[in-house]
Amino acid sequence: METDQRDHAIEATHRRRAQFEDALTRTAEVRGTEAGAALGRASLWKDAYYRFIANKASVIAAFAFLILLAYVIFVPIFSNEDPYAVDFSEAYIPPSWEHPFGTDQFGRDLFVRTALGGRVSFAIGFAATIAIMVIGITYGATSGFLGGRVDNALMRFLDALYGLPYLPFAILTLAIFGTVNFWTMVVALTIASWFTAARVVRGQIISLKENDYVRAAYALGVPRRRILSRHLLVNTLGVIIVFVFLELPGVILGEAFLSFIGLGISPPKASWGTLAQEGYVEYQVHPYIIVIPSLMIAWLILSAFFIADGLRDALDPRMKET
Amino acid sequence: MALLEVSDLRTYFKTREGEVHAVDGVSLMVEEGKVLGIVGESGCGKSVTALSIMGLVQNPGRIVSGSVRFDGRELTELKERELEDVRGPGIGMIFQDPMTSLNPTLTVGTQLTETLRRHLGMSSSQAKKRAIELLEEVHIPDAARRLSDYPHRFSGGMRQRVMVAIAISCNPKLVIADEPTTALDVTVQAGVLDLLDELRRVHGTTMMIISHNMGVIAETADEVLVMYAGQVVEQAPAIELFDQPEHPYTEALLASLPHLEGRDVRNGRLVSIPGRPPDLLVPPEACRFAPRCTYAGTDDCTVVAPELREIRPGHWVRSQHPRSERAAAAVGAV
Amino acid sequence: MLKFTIRRILWTIPVILLVILMTFVMMRMIKGNPFRTTERAVPEAIQRNLERKFHLDQPAYKQYLFYVKGVFTLDLGPSLVLRSQTVNDIIKQHFPVSIHLGVMALLFAIVLGIPLGILAALKQNSPLDYASMGIANLGFSIPSFLVATLLIYFFAVKWKDVTGLPTNGWGGPETWVLPVIALGIYPMTYFARLVRGSMLETLQQDYVRTAKAKGLRWRVVVGKHVLRNSLIPAVTATGPLLGYLITGSFIIEYIFGIPGIGKYYVTAVTGRDYSVVMGITVLLSVIIIVANLVVDIVYVYLDPRTRDERT
Repeated sequence: METDQRDHAIEATHRRRAQFEDALTRTAEVRGTEAGAALGRASLWKDAYYRFIANKASVIAAFAFLILLAYVIFVPIFSNEDPYAVDFSEAYIPPSWEHPFGTDQFGRDLFVRTALGGRVSFAIGFAATIAIMVIGITYGATSGFLGGRVDNALMRFLDALYGLPYLPFAILTLAIFGTVNFWTMVVALTIASWFTAARVVRGQIISLKENDYVRAAYALGVPRRRILSRHLLVNTLGVIIVFVFLELPGVILGEAFLSFIGLGISPPKASWGTLAQEGYVEYQVHPYIIVIPSLMIAWLILSAFFIADGLRDALDPRMKET
Repeated sequence: MALLEVSDLRTYFKTREGEVHAVDGVSLMVEEGKVLGIVGESGCGKSVTALSIMGLVQNPGRIVSGSVRFDGRELTELKERELEDVRGPGIGMIFQDPMTSLNPTLTVGTQLTETLRRHLGMSSSQAKKRAIELLEEVHIPDAARRLSDYPHRFSGGMRQRVMVAIAISCNPKLVIADEPTTALDVTVQAGVLDLLDELRRVHGTTMMIISHNMGVIAETADEVLVMYAGQVVEQAPAIELFDQPEHPYTEALLASLPHLEGRDVRNGRLVSIPGRPPDLLVPPEACRFAPRCTYAGTDDCTVVAPELREIRPGHWVRSQHPRSERAAAAVGAV
Repeated sequence: MLKFTIRRILWTIPVILLVILMTFVMMRMIKGNPFRTTERAVPEAIQRNLERKFHLDQPAYKQYLFYVKGVFTLDLGPSLVLRSQTVNDIIKQHFPVSIHLGVMALLFAIVLGIPLGILAALKQNSPLDYASMGIANLGFSIPSFLVATLLIYFFAVKWKDVTGLPTNGWGGPETWVLPVIALGIYPMTYFARLVRGSMLETLQQDYVRTAKAKGLRWRVVVGKHVLRNSLIPAVTATGPLLGYLITGSFIIEYIFGIPGIGKYYVTAVTGRDYSVVMGITVLLSVIIIVANLVVDIVYVYLDPRTRDERT
């Protein structure tokens, strides 16, 4: 377009603009709408909930997880079998109607024993995961929030910890304690795994810190601690929750590994790992004894993983947006 | 015969809730050597139209019906391999966001020469020489050295120039620019627009420029297409469109341009069009602009979908209340 | 980039020192004395001599310094329990076996896992995709001790006449098959899923659309533009996977009776053989630290964007 023609056209536009403004105001009054009106309150958690529900895989996984929990909690309560009764006449019965998971070398019903084992595994898992999150969040949030040299120093220390391989670290810790019981196992697992949590939290806090709304909070004079709790941590919650579902099976698997090589909790309290180890001794003749607790672990890992996946998508919709 | 002729193009996207009619019966024509400008708000289907022409619409979208005739060939019937031959030497495309449209792990030189070698069969050294020429043509200083730089070392404006260079590298007959300036600073925008203008003047390249920015269209287009909710609502030569817009939506768009001079500048509010575009999942069986239209009265605007009609030679409108008929009606009513 | 590399390498030294320190401290915290726990009670006088010889009568920090000197001169000291051997001997005997197992498992994982992930991504939502992801999910969730046990059960016991694979020891290639598969399945599924996810994400990127718009052949677009960028996360994943391989090898060696260092580690810990424990732990740590270092450097090389950022 030539310049003067363009100017002429723009002039015409200005003229028409005044007319149109009136027309638009009238329209707005008549229709009762205003451009950009709010759509009604939506909450982050409600949104996330709906998104999670919509994800078929996650819902199935959530059910699977709950079924597993239900099995572990309720079966021992409602069962008539005494899991500690030794009866050699009932030994080594493969899975049957009466003993859905069969019996072990002492004639103990494995359906109940596996459920009890699950209780132990879950207890260790939850305890360790909670401990890991507490330590990890504190360390990671402090490091990320304070930044600068503190962050640098804390992260270097973390790098060193990463250098210690998981299993040896846990083994050493157990050796220091001398015995392996519930609490020493929890401590050993926590010590060997908290750094990933710290790093994840730190990463999230650092990326959030750069956001404009945090800078705005600072500019408005919000005290630092409040920024941390109100803005940063709340938005880190999503990452934390996802991480919990990833860490829980990892911890339980770690405990299973330790039990398998003989460093598990002493009998009669048995976890899935211990049960697997007992089954390993005779797997060639009675394979089901090792298969069942291992499959329980697999079930847990799969369901927890898909829940974590679904949670991640539900809580961070940006990733899916086209 | 027009270089590009699109007839009744329909591109739909399958979603869990149904099919979104992103492009719902769009027809356009670009004459050789001319510049067609497509303007409309976000979501009106202009980008999807461009992608459909290039055959770049991916799952879950697909071209449902319609024809795209380029240089005498029906593009919708071509196989992927044949389309690959058209892209580049036939049609070149410039995308909106230069930050993400270039591969960050390959040098700019590689991204230029790969097209040259693929379509023009150049050897490595020939391609390199030509690439330098292209960079100079788009006014990138120190072109020879910059060839081995990675995209992140270029500023936004320069990256877009590189995109332009890539688009014209195989001497295409048609260049489609999808929001070429949207992601750039205002000062840089002018530079890119000048470059496009230069291309037109020097090479006679036919162009299709898509933008939601009226200013960009006003500056570059010979012919303008206004899109709304997946349809063409007005089409006219640029001067005429800006001088005598017919469709209420076009008027509204022009009126909403903020101005810095004139009376009432300090007291006035920014004008906006109330309401939102319709949901393209279930497009209304009526005029799609009706809910937001000042003139949609108790007529059948909300019941009957208006057709695109030629209200003047070369000026098409899809509305029951184009401006010229409103004035006449007002006069007649008296 | 060179500056970054050098800085990164220099940083590993304090990290290694810290690791040695931590192991040292932990080791000392374990109650018990190597000479008193052996079955044959050692007479007092000889005990004292031994303690002096192994510096155990010195204050802790001096022992630490002796040890650090030893590490850097590659002398990890003698075994406290198997008194005819030094730690170096033990390591030399058994460590190569573990490395062999680990490297082969990693190769298995890469050669099978990555192509699987690529194919699954390219044919998204096809039966191939679902099948491979199904297998991947299974392999990822079943604990390796079960995998190993099942492998032995089927291949070596039930179908012994058909395949006849040995399940014990470490020698010729036929002994490698089952342990490598057992150890490598988890990393394989890890790679498959990682690469698939990464490719799917890359395929959505704008620059892939640009490449297509340029009229490049699809094969070229995938090979040149997509693959390079998708495989970067796989490279960074090998770092942590190394940790798994070490952990996992303990179990696999235990099950398959492979004379690697895993077995010796546990015995050494229970037997309070300080030097063996320290030696192996430090060795493993150094390997992990060096591996992470290599991964970091390779990553910077692969992704040009990181090169110009100030570390």
